[in-house]
Amino acid sequence: MQSSETVIDVKDLVRVYRSSTGFIKRVKKETLAVDNISFSVKCGELFGMLGPNGAGKTTTIKMMTTLLTPTSGHITVLGHDVVTDPMEVRKHIGLVLGGEKGLYYRVTARQNLRYFADLYGVPMNIREERINELLRKVDLSDRADERVEDFSRGMKQRLHLAKGLINDPEVIFLDEPTIGLDPQAARDARSMIKTLIEEGKTMLLTTHYMFEADELCDRIAVVNKGKVVALDSPKGLKSLLKDMSIIEVEGFGITAAEIDSIKKLDGVKTVTASMNEDKQVLRVQVCDSSELLTPVANRLGNSKVIGVRVKEPTLEDAYLWLVESDA
Amino acid sequence: MPRIRAVTSSFRHQFLQFVAEPQWLIPNVILPFMITMVALIMFSGQQGNFVLYAVLGGGMMSMWGNTLYSSGWSIGSDRFNGTLEQILVTPSKLVWIIAGRSVWNALVGILNGVLIFVIAVSVYDADLTIRDPMLFFIAFFVTLLSLSMLGMLFCSAFVLTRQASVLTNGLEYPIYVGTGTMFPIAILPWWTNPLSLSLGPTWGIDAIRYAALDNYDGFSTGYWGDVGIMLALSFFYLAVAFVLFGVVEKKVRVDGSFVRY
Ligand SMILES: Nc1ncnc2c1ncn2[C@@H]1O[C@H](COP(=O)(O)OP(=O)(O)O)[C@@H](O)[C@H]1O
Ligand SMILES: [Mg+2]
Repeated sequence: MQSSETVIDVKDLVRVYRSSTGFIKRVKKETLAVDNISFSVKCGELFGMLGPNGAGKTTTIKMMTTLLTPTSGHITVLGHDVVTDPMEVRKHIGLVLGGEKGLYYRVTARQNLRYFADLYGVPMNIREERINELLRKVDLSDRADERVEDFSRGMKQRLHLAKGLINDPEVIFLDEPTIGLDPQAARDARSMIKTLIEEGKTMLLTTHYMFEADELCDRIAVVNKGKVVALDSPKGLKSLLKDMSIIEVEGFGITAAEIDSIKKLDGVKTVTASMNEDKQVLRVQVCDSSELLTPVANRLGNSKVIGVRVKEPTLEDAYLWLVESDA
Repeated sequence: MPRIRAVTSSFRHQFLQFVAEPQWLIPNVILPFMITMVALIMFSGQQGNFVLYAVLGGGMMSMWGNTLYSSGWSIGSDRFNGTLEQILVTPSKLVWIIAGRSVWNALVGILNGVLIFVIAVSVYDADLTIRDPMLFFIAFFVTLLSLSMLGMLFCSAFVLTRQASVLTNGLEYPIYVGTGTMFPIAILPWWTNPLSLSLGPTWGIDAIRYAALDNYDGFSTGYWGDVGIMLALSFFYLAVAFVLFGVVEKKVRVDGSFVRY
């Protein structure tokens, strides 16, 4: 299904939120949420937007789906301008937002789908059939006539996905579709996304999980503070770090001061610390691991180090490198 | 986009949400019951016309309260639950979605009015004879039409801002009084009249009383005059609501205020 035809075209997109707080004394506040973004998505592609919280992903999705008006710049979806021709755009797109909201929780799953089918003008003679098919697809057939308020988080997210497909859209926008899901539910959601791609849908997905973007996306735009800082295939992004390697240190009792002193070493790009069960894990991005292995180990003299390994950079490392060097 | 379907499906959806939501009992059953009781106690010992006058006022009051409450509630809860952006992203225009809901809300208003009447007759044993039932029902339905269209107007304010509840809360009691629902409008200060006269229910309650009461001395417009003015006002509200919703839908997209942030 992949062809070179452009389905989504985003040009010089800017969005500023103007809000005011305070009742007696109004304080005006401006937030530059999206700062001159351009990219395009081809037919049949799964395009990812990867970035930390507040990077402007949701704002961009809402502009592409006609919910927000751009402050400046242009977006076309399937050749229709989202500002001047929003109705045409809406007929052909689906929007799936992550999280628990966005459903009528007092009524049943089937009643939710039926209402949205009507608002999308799904022909009456295929409405029930399509609802049943979608319920089967998201594995909710046997709970279809229960109220949504009794659903688990994962079930709500699957219903969201079904709702996003109710008008059989050509283009699907997914905003953090696995946020807040347990690992099994998140895996289910990802496999449903893969099925949709096999069916030839064009998709745009946002996430702040690197492995998710790596697993699913054909191309990824890394966004930070409203800007695209890199745009490439997962492989291409990883090769940005081809001259680098990662020194991974596992241990106990590593202090913030020790981490700081490693950061100050020449040739160290970034250092991230995380916990793996009860162990601390440091990932140190370096240009030349053979030269830096000893200095890094020396800086950790006062803590208990269990293991030191040199690793190939992952997409996560590329992402961290991009976001940190943008800071 | 088939507009009728947006209206009918929103009507049905509003009904489904209504029956699933037990908190509706308070404005729709308990409150009318209490209003009727209070009205009957106030007017106890009076002859039939006064009692009917009070019961009609009570019914109207609860219909009006219902309109304000539900027009605000339906959009407020959509914003709160994140469904407002889900309906905004469909190709159905918001104005038709709200129209369907308003018609359901108005129907609940009818049921309220009927309920009050039934309570008065069966529980309190009031003697309520309607002078002309046919004219009474015409007036009733036209009043409901104007109420639901007015409800739509309020609704556009709710789409725009979550502070709109200030508007409807503030309007509830002045309008009970201002429309002459509980008291004859003539005893109010003159400056309340321009506002009252621009509201459908003012004419509605007058028309209903013309149809129900013997020797009722209301507005000089008479029964059919009241009905005509109400119809004109309803179309006027609809036209204004249509324009307002266009403006509001645009503004909400510029502000990003369709979501609780
Ligand atoms: N409705 C809004 N009003 C004001 N500021 C907003 C609104 N929505 C988002 N923002 C701000 O815009 C920036 C980008 O937010 P968002 O697009 O939600 O990022 P992301 O989805 O990548 O986490 C953030 O700084 C956020 O605080
Ligand atoms: Mg977001």
